Amino acid sequence: MKVAAYACLVLLVIPVQVVLADRLGIAGVRPDLALVAVCLIGLYRGEVDAVLVGLALGFAQDLFSGAPHWGNLCLKPILGLVAGLAGRSLVNLTWTFVLVLLLALSMFSGTVLYLLKSVTGPGGSFFLAARGIILPEACYDALAGLILLKLIRLWRPPRAPLTALTYE
Amino acid sequence: MISLQSIAGGKRAVFLLLALLIAALLLLPESRQEPLLALGRHMAAAVSIPLRAIDTVNQGVEGLWTRYIALQGTRAENQALRQELARLQQETVRLRETAAASTRLRDLLELKTRLPYATIAAQVVGRDPSNWYRSIVINKGMRDGLAIDMGVLTPAGVLGRVVKVYDDFAIVLLLIDPNNAVTGLVQRTRDEGIVEGTERGLARIKYLPLLSTVKVGDQVVTSGLAGGFPRGLPIGVITKIERREAELFLSAEIVPDTDFAKIEEVLVVTSPRESAQLPSTPFPLQPLPKRDAGETR
Repeated sequence: MKVAAYACLVLLVIPVQVVLADRLGIAGVRPDLALVAVCLIGLYRGEVDAVLVGLALGFAQDLFSGAPHWGNLCLKPILGLVAGLAGRSLVNLTWTFVLVLLLALSMFSGTVLYLLKSVTGPGGSFFLAARGIILPEACYDALAGLILLKLIRLWRPPRAPLTALTYE
Repeated sequence: MISLQSIAGGKRAVFLLLALLIAALLLLPESRQEPLLALGRHMAAAVSIPLRAIDTVNQGVEGLWTRYIALQGTRAENQALRQELARLQQETVRLRETAAASTRLRDLLELKTRLPYATIAAQVVGRDPSNWYRSIVINKGMRDGLAIDMGVLTPAGVLGRVVKVYDDFAIVLLLIDPNNAVTGLVQRTRDEGIVEGTERGLARIKYLPLLSTVKVGDQVVTSGLAGGFPRGLPIGVITKIERREAELFLSAEIVPDTDFAKIEEVLVVTSPRESAQLPSTPFPLQPLPKRDAGETR
């Protein structure tokens, strides 16, 4: 069941991102839905699930990209692992935490992809890339993540945090 | 005693007098009608009071009729008309879309028939999933004979080249991506160079000879020396020439002829070498609107 759900997610996220890219974009910048999905899976389902889904999503993303490298295939599992490890140490998943985590992971991902692009071809100015792509995309990813989290919580309300009192 | 006959005769006389009076009144000159009109004004004033009252009642009844009773079916009619309007608007949009698609496809077909080499028409189904590369996904792949490095065109000019091919899809890296490079030729001076994309979403021709007489407004076309394009396909127009000291070559900024933001159908050149010759008529097929430099992203 879980595998089927993840397979559906992989089969859905990338086509949505490829086909509806123009409609999703704000000022030419599109959110990385795969990154958001991997991070949320890491936070909710743990690092193992996130790494596996990250591999599949990153691979699919690279298949449909004009990129000459497999940057997303390498990056997405790492992002999932980080999100999963971060989620493990949490008592309660707060909006602020998700916002900051998504911003940080998206900026990390953007920086790595910029470096990869610079290695494989003309990279251009980092500051221009940061201003034009990395920062706007990170904000957009964080926003998309919060919206998705809200939807998830509407569907499945969060459980009360486990404390010492819970066991008594 | 008054007899019946005399009564009848008296009545007749009264009628006759009345008729004469009416005739006299009708024949009375206008200047002599003043007393009559003065009398009539008072009469009219008196009559106007019930007239207004009746008119008010009448209007009220008519309003009640027209606004409430007669409009009983209007709500349903209004809804039906709104639905009809919505349907017609959708129909108009659909017809406009069909007309636009028909124009695009006609241009594409015209280009396909005019080009002296084999091409395959394809539809754009998606764009690059990341913000880092400028590429599109087309709905033709290996099954249709596509291969890596094939050139892709639109009726306006060069679009890019195929970088990844799957069974039913292919990824086309656009000309404006910095990772793309196409061999180009300045049409007027015949100077050759390498055309590649820039970060600003434009293109640049590099490695032009330092003594080249290239100037702003010159058309750049494909040189056909390498890559999947035959010779003579339009790439863009030079808008800025960059001469840097201590450099052995010139470079120039190009505004591409193709509008990369609005691509829906493309032609993939499957064999540029079959009969590589210049097209019989100059490109583009129709005059293109002027675009700003930053618009192409």
